[in-house]
Amino acid sequence: MTSLQQVLAKGEFAVTAEVAPPKGTDTAEMMENAEFLRGKVHAVNVTDQQSSVMRLGSLASCRLLKESGFEPVFQLTTRDRNRIALQSDLLSASVLGIENVLCLTGDHITLGDHPQAKPVFDLDSVSLLMAAKGLTGGTDMAGELLEGTPAFHLGAVVTPGYEPMELQLLKMERKIKAGAQFFQTQAVYDPELFRRFMGGAKELGVPVLLGLVLLKSAGMARYMNKHVAGVSVPDSIIDEMKKTDDKVATSIKLAARIIRQTRGDVSRGPSDGNGLGTVCAGYSHGSRHIDLTTEGKNNTGMPGNCDAGLQMN
Amino acid sequence: MIGQTQKPLEEILGYLQGKEKVVLVGCGGCATVFHTGGEPEVKEMADTLSKHGKNILATVAPPFGEFTCYAPWSKERLSKYRQEIKECDAILMLSCGDGLQVVRELIIEEEFGLQKPIYPATNPIGHMGGGPSLFKEKCQQCGECELGRLAGICPFTQCPKGFLNGPCGGVTKDGKCEVDPERDCAWVMIYERLKAFGEFDRLREMREPKDWSKMQRPRKIEVAPLSLE
Repeated sequence: MTSLQQVLAKGEFAVTAEVAPPKGTDTAEMMENAEFLRGKVHAVNVTDQQSSVMRLGSLASCRLLKESGFEPVFQLTTRDRNRIALQSDLLSASVLGIENVLCLTGDHITLGDHPQAKPVFDLDSVSLLMAAKGLTGGTDMAGELLEGTPAFHLGAVVTPGYEPMELQLLKMERKIKAGAQFFQTQAVYDPELFRRFMGGAKELGVPVLLGLVLLKSAGMARYMNKHVAGVSVPDSIIDEMKKTDDKVATSIKLAARIIRQTRGDVSRGPSDGNGLGTVCAGYSHGSRHIDLTTEGKNNTGMPGNCDAGLQMN
Repeated sequence: MIGQTQKPLEEILGYLQGKEKVVLVGCGGCATVFHTGGEPEVKEMADTLSKHGKNILATVAPPFGEFTCYAPWSKERLSKYRQEIKECDAILMLSCGDGLQVVRELIIEEEFGLQKPIYPATNPIGHMGGGPSLFKEKCQQCGECELGRLAGICPFTQCPKGFLNGPCGGVTKDGKCEVDPERDCAWVMIYERLKAFGEFDRLREMREPKDWSKMQRPRKIEVAPLSLE
């Protein structure tokens, strides 16, 4: 059992943060960024060529981070690999000691830096979860028996701001049936929207890690409202970012406030089998480092084990 | 129908470099509808190539309805031009790739016993329906039609990611696709239609991954010949 899995099983507040592999072989910055998170997160989420931009692989990066003492969450998309390659990568992850796997379809190729590539999408996120769960049961998708069976802690993503919400909840339900043991959400800025979402999601009884992406500016918020599906930043937050003299401090304050405002919605503990109080902290590269440890203690009332190290411009 | 566009003239002239005597073959089917190989386009291409110094031995423009990809028809039509085809340096096909390859393999090679350079004048862009002016790709001939379970909307074709288990997170607030903001999300449409028909529970059915082996190319099929008498 991975330690993220143990934390979630206990119904405790968990924090993960994203680490992006570099475009190239110089892993120094990725490892430096990860250092900011040491001791502050339960796991680091390692992206799989996010936004369809070709980069160093998630699996190799996960292994490097693991060797450095971090617990990785291996993000795996179906965009670039067929079911043979995906199952093989899952087995590879297992022998490299990586068991947290976030199963995604991935952004479409047209959104990335190699729009001429042939999109694969042999499986989607649901069937990838089915395949991964199948491997843990000792068989591959063809029904062939495995020599040595992997164990995985399988995650999936969900978009609380998706309309119609009923359809998104239905997809979430499918992902759970397929094998998802935890969820990470798209970035949330609107606690009211998240509350409505959790109203439907809680009864599914699977831990939900709220997604946070720190705002760098009002412009970034407006851009996301316009261009990022499922993300909705309320005007009041945009105003706060616009008026502030210290964007970094305000951004951290806003993130802490969202955690505080939403914790009640997700944190009923395991006793009622509902969603758990967990946060997936978005992580962005930048020049200044701020430790949410202090913010957490002073502003969010989070217990000591849910500090998040966050870095931003 | 096979949607198609005309190739740039430079590309066509490039293929025909060093080939003086040319036979042009159009198509009375899709290429006529898409204005890439009907009678007017074959004639226009003949004029253009003449201006570029080509000697057009024959212009074969089947009437509307006579598909060049249907070998019995092409055989009959092209038999009238057997001599010109024998003499020519190259054949230019104003048809889709099916038309070109049927003519190359079944008529020029098998029927006439000739080996001739044959070049395309069009870029086929998909199997599509609609008209008279707007055509859309709706079906990719996957070999196992799922429309009965998907409210008459094919997500393999309509959804850029080919989702079989509901929408991705990339749907815009007005139900459009992140890949193409002009396009309606297939899964939002499926959801709305199934809901309207009282078949919402169909969306709860877990689906096995698509069996792509039915799309293993090249596919073929043998049927009883059509009687056109």
